[in-house]
Amino acid sequence: MSFISWKTRLLILLALIIASLYQLAPTFLGLKDQKTALIAAKKDIPWYLSLLPEQELNLGLDLRGGLYMELSVDLEEAQRHQLNLLAIDLSRYVFKDKFPDSAPTVLDDGLIRITVKADARQAMIDALRDASYDDRVLTILPASNEAPNTLIIKPTDDYFTTLHNDTLEQASNAVRNRIDRYGVSEAGVSKLGSGRLAVEIPGVKNPEQVIDIIRRTGKLEFRLVDNSLDGDQIAGLIATKKTELGLSSEYDRDSVKKLNAALKEALPKDTSLAFEIERTRDNKAIKKATPYLVTNKVTVSGDMLSNAKVDSNNGSPIVSMSFNKIGAKNFGDLTKDNIGRSLAIVLDGVVMSAPRINSAITGGEAMIELGMGTYEALQREAKDLTLILREGALPASLTVESKNLIGPSLGQESIDAGLKSLLLAALIIVVFMMFYYRIGGVVANLALAINVLFIFAILCLFQASLSLPGIAGIVLTLGMAVDANVLIFERMREEKIMGKTVEAVVGAGYDNAMSAIIDGNLTTLISGLVLFEFGTGPIKGFASTLMIGIVTTMFTAIIVTRVFYDWMLTRQSLKKLILSV
Amino acid sequence: MNETQPIKIISGVTTCKGKSILPVMAYKWGFIGISIFFMLASLFLLATKGLNYGVDFVGGTKNIYRFAEGTKIDDVRSALEGLDFGDIQVIAFEQDRQIPQYLIRVKSISGVDVSQILTDRLVKKFPGKTELVSQETVGPKVGADLQKKAIASVSLTCLLILIYTGFRFDFLFAPGAIIALFHDVLISVGFFAFFGKEFTLPILAALLTILGFSVNDTIVVYDRIRENIKHLPKHISASRIVDISLTETFSRTIITNLTVLLVVVALFLVGGGVLHDFAFCMIVGVIFGTYSSIFIASPIYLWLQKIFPNQGIKKDV
Repeated sequence: MSFISWKTRLLILLALIIASLYQLAPTFLGLKDQKTALIAAKKDIPWYLSLLPEQELNLGLDLRGGLYMELSVDLEEAQRHQLNLLAIDLSRYVFKDKFPDSAPTVLDDGLIRITVKADARQAMIDALRDASYDDRVLTILPASNEAPNTLIIKPTDDYFTTLHNDTLEQASNAVRNRIDRYGVSEAGVSKLGSGRLAVEIPGVKNPEQVIDIIRRTGKLEFRLVDNSLDGDQIAGLIATKKTELGLSSEYDRDSVKKLNAALKEALPKDTSLAFEIERTRDNKAIKKATPYLVTNKVTVSGDMLSNAKVDSNNGSPIVSMSFNKIGAKNFGDLTKDNIGRSLAIVLDGVVMSAPRINSAITGGEAMIELGMGTYEALQREAKDLTLILREGALPASLTVESKNLIGPSLGQESIDAGLKSLLLAALIIVVFMMFYYRIGGVVANLALAINVLFIFAILCLFQASLSLPGIAGIVLTLGMAVDANVLIFERMREEKIMGKTVEAVVGAGYDNAMSAIIDGNLTTLISGLVLFEFGTGPIKGFASTLMIGIVTTMFTAIIVTRVFYDWMLTRQSLKKLILSV
Repeated sequence: MNETQPIKIISGVTTCKGKSILPVMAYKWGFIGISIFFMLASLFLLATKGLNYGVDFVGGTKNIYRFAEGTKIDDVRSALEGLDFGDIQVIAFEQDRQIPQYLIRVKSISGVDVSQILTDRLVKKFPGKTELVSQETVGPKVGADLQKKAIASVSLTCLLILIYTGFRFDFLFAPGAIIALFHDVLISVGFFAFFGKEFTLPILAALLTILGFSVNDTIVVYDRIRENIKHLPKHISASRIVDISLTETFSRTIITNLTVLLVVVALFLVGGGVLHDFAFCMIVGVIFGTYSSIFIASPIYLWLQKIFPNQGIKKDV
C-alpha cells in the first residue's frame, strides 16, 4: 500500500465515507415516510429528496415483525400430474393417426407403457423421435420377451429435474401472485431447494388468513371485454368515484369491489370493472393500472383448461392452451359469436391479459399470440402467461412446514435491545482501547467508527436484511476489528523494544502482523460462508453481516489506520506520540 | 521481508520483550487434563441428559404470549388444562419485565393447528389483555432436516478450516487446530446440556462463530511459531520455540479475547430474548476457545512434529 501516497489514500477514504453517508442518508432521515406523507398530502417531492437513493436499510422480519413460512411443494404429485399430461400428449399428437391403439398408460414407477402392434415397434420409436422426444427427454427401454406387445419409455433424469424446477418455479410464482393480488406489498418468496419455498411477509397481523390466501388456488376466468364505453369514459367514471370513495391508488380485492358497487348504476348491465396491474420490478409497487370493462357472465373458467404451455409459431413464442370437453365446447361457442372482440383472462378479479379473438376456436386447442417485442421478452411473457393459465390447477399442493410469527411489539423491543447492546459494546471497546493504547487507541477507535459506518452502508447497498442475530454479528465484528489492531500494536511494541526508528516501528508492525490478520479473518470468513449457504432468514442475516464485517474490518484495520499513522509520521510533534503505544 | 526482520536476542530466559517465557509445555499434561475433564463431562451430559433442542430442530409449536399484569404462571397452566396436547411446557420468559410474558411449548400434532387452539383458549380465558407476541411452528420434517444440516455445516466448516490451515501452514499444524475446534464446540454444547438451555438455530450460528474465532486465535499462535522456527537459532528446542511463541502472543491473546468477552457479556446482559442465549454460548466458547488455542493446539503440533520430524516448516538456510 505504501506505493500510493497517504494523501491519495486519505482522499479515497474520504470519498468512501461520503458515499456511505449518502447511502445511509435515507435511513437516518426516514425518507420513505417523508415521501409517503408528501404523496398522501398531494404535495410535490422537493428536488433534494429525489437526489438521495431510494433504498433504506432493510430490516429482517425478526426486527420489523412479520411472518416467515416454509412451504413444501408436493413434487411427486406434480410429477404424476405431468406424466399423465405427457401420456395424453403422446396419444393425441404422436400416435393418434398411425397407431390409434397405442393407449399410453402411466405406470406406478414413473414409466409409460405403450401398446405396440406386431412389427410396428421401430415405426413407433421413429414417430417419437420425429416428434422431438429424443434421448434428452425419453429413454426407450429394450424390448422384453415377457411383454412383446409393449413399448416401455422412461422419462430421463433431466426431464424430471426440469419438471421439478418448473414446478417449484410455478409454485413460487403462484404464491407470489396470490400475495400480490391481496395487496400485501414487499413480500418475499424464495426457493429453498428440496422442494421448499420460503415466504416472508412483513407486518402480518393475522397469519391464518394469509396462509389461507396462499394455499387457496386462484380463480381463473375468461371474460369478454365490453366495448360499449370507451377508454376515456371509463377513466372519467373511475376518477370521479375514486375521489368520492377516498380510494387513492389501491387496487386490492376489496377496493375494486367497493368501486364496482358504487359504479353499478353507471356501468352497462351485467358488466363490471377489472384492472390490469403493472408492478415495478424492484419494489413491486403498482406502476400502472389499466381498467377493463368485462362481462359478469363466465362460461369458460380455469378448471376447464387441461394444459397450457409455451409453443412457437413461425419462430416466435406463443402460448397454447388445451381445454377439456366442456371447455372446448364453451370456448368454441364464445369465440364463434365474438370474433374481433377481446377476451380478458382474469385471475381472482385481476386482468392478466386481454388477447383479441381472431377466429372461432372449436377444436379445444387455442393459441395466444403475443404482441411485439424481442424474442427474449416474448418468451418471458409467454412463460408468465402459461403460469397464470395453469394457476387454475396448480399441479402441486402446498403444505406449511414451519411458520414463525414475530409481533410488531417484540420487533421494536428487539431493535431497542440490539442497539443498546451495540452501543454498550462500542463504549466498552472505545474506553478500553484509549486506556490501553493511548494514541493508538484513538486511531483504532476512529477506524472502528468508520468500520461500523461501512457495514451499514454495504448492508443498505446490497439490501441485505439486518436481523437480530445480524446485530450480534456487528457487535462481534467490533471485537474482531479490535483484534486486528491489537495484533498491529503489540507488534509495534515489540519492534519498539528493539530500538528501531519510528518509521521502522510502524512499517514492521504492519508488515509482520499482516499474515496473522489475513489468516485469522479468512478462516472466520469460511464459517460465515457455510452459515450463509446453510441458513435461512435471521441466520442468513447473521452470516451476511459477519462476512461484510470481516471485509470492512480488514480494510479499516489495515488500510485506514495506516493512513492515520502515515499522516502522523509527517508531523514531528506527533511522531513521539506513536511510540507511546 | 527478511531484511526488515528484527534480530531477536534470546538470552535463555527472556524474549525480546524482556518478559519471562511462560513454561506452558512443561505443564501441558495439567492443561490437557483440565480439557479432557470438561470434554468427558460434556460427553457424559450429552449422553445422559441430552440437549434440549428448540422447536426449530425437533418440530413443534412455541408461542410467547403477554398477559394482563399479575397473571401468574399457574393461572396460565390451569387455563390450558384439558387440552390433549401431551406435554405442555409453560415457562416464564424474561421475568424482569412488568407485563408477565409466558412461553408455551407443545409438540406438533399432525393435522391440528395447535397454535390457533392455544391462542383461542388463552384469549377466551384471559379476555382483553392477551397478546400473541411471537409464534414459531416447525413441522417434524423440517426439524429433522435441520438437525442433519446443522451437523453437516459444523463438519463442513471444520473440514474447510482444516484444508485452509493445511495449505497456509502445513499439515502438522492443521490437526491441532481442528482438535481445538472440536474441543470448543463439544464443551459449549456440554454447557448447554448442563444448564438445560434451549439449543436453537441462533445457537448453531454462535457455535460456527466460535469455530471462526477460536481458529483465529490458534492461527495467530501458529503464525508466530512458524516465524520463530524460521528465524530463531537452530539449537533452541521445538518445545522451547512453542513456549516463546505463546509468550510473545500472550498479551495479544488476552487483550483480544478479553474485549470479545466484554462485548459478548454486553450482549448477554442487554441483548434480550434471542441474543441472551446466543451470548451465553459465545461466552463459553470464547473462554474455552482461548484456552484451547493456547493449551491444546500447540502441544498437538509438537507431538506431530516429533512423530514426523522430517515434515513441515524448516529453518531458513
